[in-house]
Amino acid sequence: MVPHNMHDPAESQPRATFPRKSLILLAVFACAGVAFAGVSCFDFIAHLDRQVHAITCSIVPGLGARDASGASGCHAVLMSPYSSVLRDLTWGGIPIALPALGVFVFLLFRAIDLSLRSRVSRNETSFMVAASALPVLTSIAYSVISLTKIGTFCKVCVGVYGSSLGVFVAAIAAHLVTSPAEPAPQGKASRFGLWAFYFLEGVALVIFPVFIYLAFKPPYNESLLHTSGLRHPEDKYGVMLDMRGGGKVPAIEVLDPLCPACKGFSERLAASGLGADLQIKFVLFPLDKECNWMVGESLHAGACAVSEALLCAGDRASHVLEWAFEHQAELRALGGQGQSAIYGRIKQDFPALATCLGTPKVRDRINQGLRWIVANSLPVLTPQLFVRNQKLPDEDTDLGLDFVLARVLAQGAAGGEVRP
Amino acid sequence: MNFGRAHIALVIVALVGVGFPVASWTRAAASRLADTQSKTPEVATASASDMSYCTGDLKVILKRVLVSCGLVSGGSSRGCQPLQARQVAAMSGGDFNALFEPLAQRAAIIQFDKDNAELDVAAADLLEKTFSDRRGASYFFVVSRASPEGSVEHNRDLSHRRGNVVLDHIKAKFQDPDIDQEVGLLWLGKEFAQLDRQFCQWQRSRTSEPCNTADLNRSAFIAWIDCRL
Repeated sequence: MVPHNMHDPAESQPRATFPRKSLILLAVFACAGVAFAGVSCFDFIAHLDRQVHAITCSIVPGLGARDASGASGCHAVLMSPYSSVLRDLTWGGIPIALPALGVFVFLLFRAIDLSLRSRVSRNETSFMVAASALPVLTSIAYSVISLTKIGTFCKVCVGVYGSSLGVFVAAIAAHLVTSPAEPAPQGKASRFGLWAFYFLEGVALVIFPVFIYLAFKPPYNESLLHTSGLRHPEDKYGVMLDMRGGGKVPAIEVLDPLCPACKGFSERLAASGLGADLQIKFVLFPLDKECNWMVGESLHAGACAVSEALLCAGDRASHVLEWAFEHQAELRALGGQGQSAIYGRIKQDFPALATCLGTPKVRDRINQGLRWIVANSLPVLTPQLFVRNQKLPDEDTDLGLDFVLARVLAQGAAGGEVRP
Repeated sequence: MNFGRAHIALVIVALVGVGFPVASWTRAAASRLADTQSKTPEVATASASDMSYCTGDLKVILKRVLVSCGLVSGGSSRGCQPLQARQVAAMSGGDFNALFEPLAQRAAIIQFDKDNAELDVAAADLLEKTFSDRRGASYFFVVSRASPEGSVEHNRDLSHRRGNVVLDHIKAKFQDPDIDQEVGLLWLGKEFAQLDRQFCQWQRSRTSEPCNTADLNRSAFIAWIDCRL
């Protein structure tokens, strides 16, 4: 029995102190980590069916309504390019919460394992300190990413961060409480061997769920890539905005400047690196009843006014779009208060657009963009991306973007055809 | 209890504990995906407006007018003359005007001076404002008229010129490649469907002046029609 043989020789000597309370505390925090990481995994894996789902966004999982609006920080983080890795190898990638779940299960297992013994050595508690440092370091890294890249925190992630800190502190406490007397390693069991064995156990508990996930996740149906294109891709109304991408592959993106999914899509496209291959033209599709008769209620109030600003801005449209993405929540709130409020906010940051906003001419251009959308019989949703007049399936614009767009680009490259 | 066995048991419990839910969630997602791929997605498709006032009768008249006025089926004629309008509408002037009553919020009356076919500033502003508020409408109607003074021929010509002035202004101000397929032009002169006093309440370009039926009919009635044919 390997574990039996590899027990630290120090265990054979009686200890004056046993860190039971610290280990119980460590187990409690590890349990919390399992719960938070499990919830996060569950929400991510649910999206492998390529549908939209409400997700948990509560510091106490199970309490509070699930977020179905897509406006919560949890949704922003889930749909961000940082929620999973290896996205170009498998649809959606491997959720970062999955190895986190394995790590917390391992820490829980170690805490229970140690608690069941009559003696614990500092060699083992020091390993626990090292092992619990991993989630703490990862949590710090992801906190920085949330703050600087995504601009929001998800409550479930905060739960993971808190649990990580808790297990780390509890591991340190257990280590400090454990008697320092430590005889030299002897026999088969060296300190290195013990740590290596525990490390391999930890690796197994992290890899196993990843293996299960990859084994059972649905394969991507390549036939989904054979989508129909635009009936009338030509820009006869002159409504397309040419403002992003220095690539050579022609693409058209249909977007609403106040749609959170469009902002997320833009970020994912940039993070994937594939956006650099595209020469994207934008068609504005504000889902705001102020100018769009196709929506009974404004999904993104204020989007019509912001779309006017984009058209008015001309060469500076990309600057206005970045600004709109950055202030989406504020602009939607102002849009809900009425047109004058949103116009006022735009003029505050872009006074040069004041003479253009709200004029019949720019409103007509917005309308012509909507008519282009009608002429192409597009679904009433945003964002939509057409690459070489081939539509990226709507269900693949979030978690599956890297995987599917890479294939669409490869198809075109293999075919050697570049349609306008 | 043998400690080694306990350790192994814990490892197995941990592996099953982490593997089982992941397998279960992933297989459930795969199953849902298989279900959804066999169904047609329920997403609304972008389309032009079709308001509740677009009754079957209205659509029949609308289609007759549009076909006769050259908007539909690639007709070469541009606009409808008074007799044609009466013929294609196949109804009295009062009934013809009643067709437009549901459009009170989508219409405007562009007023002209007596025996004149030039747009003043207020008329041009109202025309641009009304045309730019297209929303999901498919057709824009320009129904020009003349007041009862003068001969029938003179008023037909005057009405025709008023309609064309409106159309030319729209073409100049809005670079719309579809304009010939969306603007229906009818010049009615004075002999068909004169506007009565109730239209004084509608949006007019000369709201500061008193409204009488003579002033009201020195005009071009414009309206977006939110109907799909």
